[in-house]
Amino acid sequence: MATQFLIRTSYKAVRLAAANHLSRTPVRVMSTAKGIPTNEEQATGLELRALLAQKKGKDPYSIFRPKEYAGTSEDPHIVPSIGDKRLVGCLCEEDNTAIVWFWLHEGNPERCPSCGSHYKLIHQELPH
Amino acid sequence: MARQAHAYHMVDPSPWPLTGAVAALLMTSGLAVWFHFNSTVLMTMGLTLLLLTMYQWWRDIIREGTFQGHHTPPVQKGLRYGMILFITSEVFFFLGFFWAFYHASLAPTPELGGCWPPTGIITLDPFEVPLLNTAVLLASGVTVTWAHHSIMERERKQTIQALALTILLGFYFTALQAMEYYEAPFTIADGVYGSTFFVATGFHGLHVIIGSTFLAVCLLRQIQYHFTSEHHFGFEAAAWYWHFVDVVWLFLYVSIYWWGS
Repeated sequence: MATQFLIRTSYKAVRLAAANHLSRTPVRVMSTAKGIPTNEEQATGLELRALLAQKKGKDPYSIFRPKEYAGTSEDPHIVPSIGDKRLVGCLCEEDNTAIVWFWLHEGNPERCPSCGSHYKLIHQELPH
Repeated sequence: MARQAHAYHMVDPSPWPLTGAVAALLMTSGLAVWFHFNSTVLMTMGLTLLLLTMYQWWRDIIREGTFQGHHTPPVQKGLRYGMILFITSEVFFFLGFFWAFYHASLAPTPELGGCWPPTGIITLDPFEVPLLNTAVLLASGVTVTWAHHSIMERERKQTIQALALTILLGFYFTALQAMEYYEAPFTIADGVYGSTFFVATGFHGLHVIIGSTFLAVCLLRQIQYHFTSEHHFGFEAAAWYWHFVDVVWLFLYVSIYWWGS
């Protein structure tokens, strides 16, 4: 069964290559003229949603390091969340090995129980 | 529909790890049955199940990554770590056989005549077919790099040409090596020389075949437009593996074929 699939795929691929598919491929975007698509043209699913969000300067899937904030009441750490609470781990000082974990709730900014830095929960929507 | 807020891939339940484990069981016990009871049925069943497992598992990974978009940058990073760790484990595998070779050849025992090559062994001339094999693999390293740059520069035709050429060079190496094996004046049974030579070069040859197969799958995928100019990790993994195979050959050539002759 697997052999059939392999033969079928190889046959299809050889036919595609032999037919010089490039000459019959309609040019989808001006830059696909040479034949290999870009990620922007072909990515799908979660990969595409993350890519498009990144282009707009957003990071809904927390791929990148969070932005730096002062942590004061005027400039609290902004914590995006899809719900009404999110776990926060505070490294009170650089090189601390003990992380201070606490739930951050929506509403008024809350403070780290150890170092007192301010954190504010902000709602975010996931891209669909 | 509830969606995840992280970039990782929570894999759907799959039967292939189980079938892979069963295949491993059947192959190992089948090997023992073959040795003691002269029957290859169990081992063949294990081998078939292994091939089916590999085909379906990797097919599913391609579906998850290319067709469903689950391979976000963090997921890809994990795959990269995985491939690097796997190749590292293979390096250690070969290190063992090099250790055996150097153990035997640096202090040859009286049974061998106290010399290396051992008395009576007619070695292969390192400047004949083995040198050609070296050139073939080095050239294939160049062509696979050419293919990689072609993908990044979105040149479809060149990618296909370069990848096909790499695979052909791989086949040429295998064919040449097969002929060498057939024509060699010594066998695996010829003392420690034969053992170290054929086990080390034999496992290397097996890895060339595995690498060629990996590259061939990449060629089929490239023809079917799976790769983009930024995301083509399957190809990169195959290229890394191929370079590893090339480097192992260089060590084999210098140690066993050249110094050991």
